[in-house]
Amino acid sequence: MGLYVLTYACALVFVLAMGLRIRRPIALPVHVRWELYPVRHETAERVAYGGSYLEALNWWERPDKRSLWNELKYMAPEILLMRGLWKENRRLWWVSFPFHFGLYLMVAAFGLLLLHALLALGGAPALADGHPLGRLLDGLIVLAGWSGLILGNIGCLGLFYRRLADPELRDYASFADYFNLGFIFLFFLCAFAAGLGDPSLAGARAHTLGLLTAGSALEASIPGPSAAGAAAVVLASLLTAYIPLTHMSHMVMKYFFYHSVKWDDAPNRRGGKIEAAVRENLGLRPTWQARHVGADGRKSWREIAASEPGEMK
Amino acid sequence: MRTRLAPADISRPSDRLSHIEAGDLAPLPSPYEDFNATAIPPLKPEKVRHIETSLDDTVALAIPRPASPEEEEARVRQFLSGLKKLFEKENNWTFLQPLLLSMEHCAKCQTCADACPVFEMSGRKEIYRPIFRAEVLRRIYRKYLRPGGKIASRLTGDIDLNWTAIARLAELSYRCTLCRRCAAACPIGVDNGLIAHEIRKLFSQEMGIAPKEIHDKGSIQHLKVGSSTGMKPPGAKDSVEFIQEEMREITGWKVDVPWDVEGAEILLIHNAGEMLAWPDNVGAFAVIFQAAGVSWTMSSEAAGYDVVNYGLWYDDVQFSRVAVRHADITRRLKVKKIVIGECGHAHKALTVVADRLLTGDLNVPRESALVTLADIVLSGKLRFDPRRNDFPVTLHDPCNVVRSMGIVAPQRRILEKIAPRFREMTPHGVENYCCGGGSGFALMSGHNFADWRNRVSSRKKFMQILAAFENEPAEVPKYVCAPCSNCKGAIRDLIGHYHAEERSRLYYGGLVELIVNAMADMKKPIIRFGDEPSWKA
Repeated sequence: MGLYVLTYACALVFVLAMGLRIRRPIALPVHVRWELYPVRHETAERVAYGGSYLEALNWWERPDKRSLWNELKYMAPEILLMRGLWKENRRLWWVSFPFHFGLYLMVAAFGLLLLHALLALGGAPALADGHPLGRLLDGLIVLAGWSGLILGNIGCLGLFYRRLADPELRDYASFADYFNLGFIFLFFLCAFAAGLGDPSLAGARAHTLGLLTAGSALEASIPGPSAAGAAAVVLASLLTAYIPLTHMSHMVMKYFFYHSVKWDDAPNRRGGKIEAAVRENLGLRPTWQARHVGADGRKSWREIAASEPGEMK
Repeated sequence: MRTRLAPADISRPSDRLSHIEAGDLAPLPSPYEDFNATAIPPLKPEKVRHIETSLDDTVALAIPRPASPEEEEARVRQFLSGLKKLFEKENNWTFLQPLLLSMEHCAKCQTCADACPVFEMSGRKEIYRPIFRAEVLRRIYRKYLRPGGKIASRLTGDIDLNWTAIARLAELSYRCTLCRRCAAACPIGVDNGLIAHEIRKLFSQEMGIAPKEIHDKGSIQHLKVGSSTGMKPPGAKDSVEFIQEEMREITGWKVDVPWDVEGAEILLIHNAGEMLAWPDNVGAFAVIFQAAGVSWTMSSEAAGYDVVNYGLWYDDVQFSRVAVRHADITRRLKVKKIVIGECGHAHKALTVVADRLLTGDLNVPRESALVTLADIVLSGKLRFDPRRNDFPVTLHDPCNVVRSMGIVAPQRRILEKIAPRFREMTPHGVENYCCGGGSGFALMSGHNFADWRNRVSSRKKFMQILAAFENEPAEVPKYVCAPCSNCKGAIRDLIGHYHAEERSRLYYGGLVELIVNAMADMKKPIIRFGDEPSWKA
């Protein structure tokens, strides 16, 4: 039961911490545009060379054309295959890709385990002995789990090696960077060890079922987790709670990097939402101290922007 | 013993943190090998006795040395006060979200390093690595402003804060051209160029520290007299009058530049530096607009004839003042749109960044001249004889126009029509390299800064230009088309520094000059290669 409580607590920390992480950029004031091209929701023709709607004569008279499909076409290989790193830093990709894809596969395996547990709780006929759908699900769990474990371990070792062997990475690595990597490696290692004693991942299925029922649905015949399995559960739970507290939350925050900065090309139309937000910002009262600014904590940005610099007064 | 520099070394006292030996720089090809053996000329001791010079081989800011330890302490406190303000919405709503994201999520993978031309060309000097200055700021921020930072910094990367570190960080923010190639390369989206920009703002807006060329002689002078060139409204009109006469010689007909025409279709605003340094550019615009029958005007109001906005590089307050001034002039002239002349940073400043500053009737439509010109050239309103541009042409892409605005195709459509021997640089478009004069560098020449620029920050562009023309004989004149005043300034200095006109017959100019040069009914060529006209009259 203790393992379940730990997992529940860590999941709660994850939800709260990630919620706060996500809430923060959403709550910040609208900032000035700082986009970088190519902006992937542009038309396919423009995306090909990095063009924008600003290339059109009298662009403000034309309707906004955004393509979610073009954006997805870029984001899917970027998220799954790390296309940017492949293009810009191939040497690192060879170790970073297995690391990240290993983590994705572990998340995918957990998703499949949850599906299996839900079907089991619902008494789905698909899980009956020999049913092809049940066999397919079992196969996918094993495939995702084992692929993830193998890739994750290779990726961790590779990243450790690169961080230690490459002076460019080593000189900027802190204790926290090694700790984070070590933490994830330990999880992959324990999970791998647990898997060696349970190649079909029956223990993982049982544990996930237990997670959904606080352990009450477990059959007496299913043994408890091995020491390695228990360690993997503890580490996975702690890791789930830890990631949103660190820069490793970039897996989620990357959304804001792209959609709120790099690709945020939305023009400010008169009477629109952006204009209303800008008006609010212009009412803020800065306190910068340099003489030319002329701020005193009482004057607003609007007043300062309309004033002359201190040197001219 | 450790020989490589790390971010924490920035606070360790020494006469000079980093130095470039002659052989460190990326080697130049033939016939420029002789420059591979020359180093950056040293700073003159008698001229730098009282200013901070402990970063590297040059000086951008000339910060006076504090007179006492008490003054040093006071400046450290001032720095921390400014740093805190960078993370407050009242003080930095303009960039708070992008800054916070880039401060907190760098994976230190060094992907940005290979994208940076300054780092590469310097021989990979550690202090020019994009992450170096960013990591210094991140460590100071985490240690001195975050709760529990003093303890946490032992785990996440320590750094000591003292006046030496601050003075070096200020200088270091002016060793990045803000080209944002690093940000484009980052798989996460971290923008270490933005961090250099924010450091500049902290020093300017809180401590009053900025290069005199872009503050005192730049944005202050712009607001005070009407132009960063120092040219007042009557001076601007006189210059244009002279330009009109020059254009009459070229076209064979009277060229008129309309001033202050209320309700015109277009308000054309140039970088006023064009009027003084490249008057043909201003004249060529007038020729094209007049020949195409465009309804247009220029403004003779202070700041209305100079589209630059140096605040973009270092100070949001100065940026806002200039942008509001431009918009207000336009509003009162009741024109339909502003067309921004061949000035890259002004493109980005007025069209993109100021878009979330201007509200109501100040939010006037703004358009790139490259777009307006492409429409004219492709419309069939003008008659061209492309054979008049029968010389090799390559195109420099200003970072602010391509990477920051996505205006890539219009200039190419024009060149395809009028320049039969046009060829691209590698890489080009949104992946281009900066001219090395970005973010104010083209204007900064105090002490030996211009030498540093020509040898380090502009070096990659020089190599790209040479590569674009590598199959052309040395005696053939070659034209580098740079539709941006600051880029032209940097390329002019490059050509002069490396004697490239004599050795490779390299010339440079804008896009409008090429357009006018190809117009079939011109009496004389507007482009000359030294004393030689580009086509026989």
